[in-house]
Amino acid sequence: MTELAGDQTRGDSTAFFSGGQSARMSQNEVAALCLKAARGAGMTWGMAEEAGFAASWLTARGLDGPRLLLAHLTAAQGRAWADLCPAVAPGAWAAPKGKSLCPIALGATLSDHAALATGLGAAPIKVGPVDQPLLVLPFLGSIAGASAGTVTMAWDGGTIEVDPAGRLTPDALAPLDGKTGVTLHLSLRHGQGARAGQREPAPAIAAQTIAGLNAFALRTTVPASDASRAGAGASSSDND
Amino acid sequence: MTSPAPDTATARFRRPAAEVMRLARMGAGHPTRLSFLRVLLRRIKAEGWLCDRPVWQVNDQGVGHAVYRVQGPQCCYSLVAFAHDLPDDMRSDRVIATAWDATFTLFDGTPTEADIARLAANVPLQEAGRITARELTLARANRSVRLFAHVVAALAKGQQPDVEEIDAVGYLMRTTAVYGSGKFGAADRADIAARPELNGPFQVEMLTVWLIRAFTVDIVEHMARVAGGARAVRLAPGIRRSLGVGNSTGLGMAPFVVRHPMLLNNWTQAREEALARVRAQARADAVAVQGLQQALRAAVENARLWQSEHPVQRGKLADLRRDLDQLSDLLPSWDWQVPHPWNALWLWGEAHLSLEGQEALLALMLEPHGALVDDLAAAMGADEDAMFRLNGAMTVGALRDLLQQHYGWALAMDFDRPENTARFWYVSEEKLEPRLGDRTREEGAALEQPLCIARLASDLARTLAARPAAEPVASLLLAHPEHRLMLRRAQMAAGHPYAEIQDNLIGAQMLPIDMMRCKLAFFGADRFDPRSDRWIRISLFQGADYPEDITAKGAA
Repeated sequence: MTELAGDQTRGDSTAFFSGGQSARMSQNEVAALCLKAARGAGMTWGMAEEAGFAASWLTARGLDGPRLLLAHLTAAQGRAWADLCPAVAPGAWAAPKGKSLCPIALGATLSDHAALATGLGAAPIKVGPVDQPLLVLPFLGSIAGASAGTVTMAWDGGTIEVDPAGRLTPDALAPLDGKTGVTLHLSLRHGQGARAGQREPAPAIAAQTIAGLNAFALRTTVPASDASRAGAGASSSDND
Repeated sequence: MTSPAPDTATARFRRPAAEVMRLARMGAGHPTRLSFLRVLLRRIKAEGWLCDRPVWQVNDQGVGHAVYRVQGPQCCYSLVAFAHDLPDDMRSDRVIATAWDATFTLFDGTPTEADIARLAANVPLQEAGRITARELTLARANRSVRLFAHVVAALAKGQQPDVEEIDAVGYLMRTTAVYGSGKFGAADRADIAARPELNGPFQVEMLTVWLIRAFTVDIVEHMARVAGGARAVRLAPGIRRSLGVGNSTGLGMAPFVVRHPMLLNNWTQAREEALARVRAQARADAVAVQGLQQALRAAVENARLWQSEHPVQRGKLADLRRDLDQLSDLLPSWDWQVPHPWNALWLWGEAHLSLEGQEALLALMLEPHGALVDDLAAAMGADEDAMFRLNGAMTVGALRDLLQQHYGWALAMDFDRPENTARFWYVSEEKLEPRLGDRTREEGAALEQPLCIARLASDLARTLAARPAAEPVASLLLAHPEHRLMLRRAQMAAGHPYAEIQDNLIGAQMLPIDMMRCKLAFFGADRFDPRSDRWIRISLFQGADYPEDITAKGAA
């Protein structure tokens, strides 16, 4: 019962997902693996929790959150926090000059500021450019839920709406998949969105996505030593 | 689900978190009637669940599979058990083993043959296999080789096993992991938490272990029949009832209570409110007093049978036995006519008993008060997702006050002293399991897991001291993203007084087994037996009904 536990949500410290092929992952697995991968790629623990939340939220809506997160982590690894986070100002949040924002950092910051004068609750915001903008949606879903409103995310190619129940307009998602350097126009209005679609089943996650995230997650682990092995638990045979 | 509502009538009888949430006391925890396996069994009995074993296909080598099914008012669950023939040299109770005597999954409904074929290709592989959202748990168990062989040999000859041998071990098999909550593709907790019977913490895991217990007896009797033929007998009911399911638990369990502060709060708050309700009673009724004496006799017997070789636990057992003797001497002459007699008894216990004895007394006082406290079990779950989003509009000043109020114990620690940062928690690359390292002697402190809550709180407070009081934490986090985890946690703790263990989890003196015992006592685990300061054995369901007992009583 080292893990009778089985963590109920994010924050799992044990059992890494170890599949060698594509698989349907539970939301708990997605959140746990993505948290570790994000931490391994350099996010702070608290921001890595947000990454796990975002990937799992997308998976629950039929979108391949783990693949999008892996693409972002691969591109953004090694970049300093200051190069990834937005400059918050009323009406327009800019990326550092010549850079593109981290969608997790942007999403979490939007959520943190939602009720402040610089936030989405006060006025529409132009943000960007940002990479993998679909990863911002979970945070817009949180804002929509907390304010019982609908958030609109528009770019020069389409519009996605997220309603208070976290439902998305389904037809507009594909064009943003995998995009980098996108400028977004965000706004919040009260009430339900009219075009929200049905929830899609969780997608199978490709073996290469799992392997890629596992490789990042492994960076959070410590190589074995004799001292660590000695302290791990039962080393004796179990034949008593 | 929300936390149990504070009851003003019981407020003055409630113990403060500063007293309850200390490792030394948590490491003296005893199972109570609010423990998760007790909650499960009460529901199964109250609702008259039907239990059967529709499949038993095990051959003379003890290899095959079986299905144990329970039918509640709305849902049906089936434990699919796979019995294996495991060579002795492959038997390890480390979670990282690769082969077991038996493997299990709890299936949602009644499995078809196609389901069983799919599970047969995956469940015996455990972590290397995949299960689906139709499955709720994945588990495995190994025999207690000595006792298993002894029981088979005795039953095969038509005799009952030696009771001393039975008492010395207490179980035929022990589990080494019971995975739930979406592990390895299983159903997410969110998918099943709305079902009343699974809403409480760890109910699917407890159901799994309870059905595994029935399998351990069936397989031992099966092997005895194979060996003894017509001469073989079944286990005597008394011996059978005394058997539980063993469990080996390593360091990996300890971080759970740190990573799930809201659950820890809700479990603890329910138990503390239960104690407060008992203490708050103006008078004692005779039935409850009788119930207390009966529970005390059972506790004395349990303490007699409780074995451990670990020096710390031996000391605790000596304390416990002495304290229970004191209580046994005291109760016959206790004056139940004083005002608030249960409170008077509790205060006597606080003045005269060790921590072991006090926590045992808590369990004893709850025992005869089911009608008063059992409803609190409904508040022990937690919707952690609902607390995930942090409040960015909170000001730095308000957060400072919050830390002073709820983390004063942490802010008082001096982390410049080496003994206060002597250890670090990490995950091993080799086995992907949590471990505890020595900061000065071992590599890897840069990869420390965020379990050193007191130091994280202390670091956050230092940063806050240099920021303007009116600044919203949203902008603080832009400058200091490294505080995000602790800030989220502190905001949650503000409404959850028992969320934090108020001790230094990276201190030189910290004993991980204290965290494990706290959690295991909430599960309902008994006979806590540490084998070192970081791994332990326990047993579950000793003395409890079996599925067939419940169905028999329901039919009677």
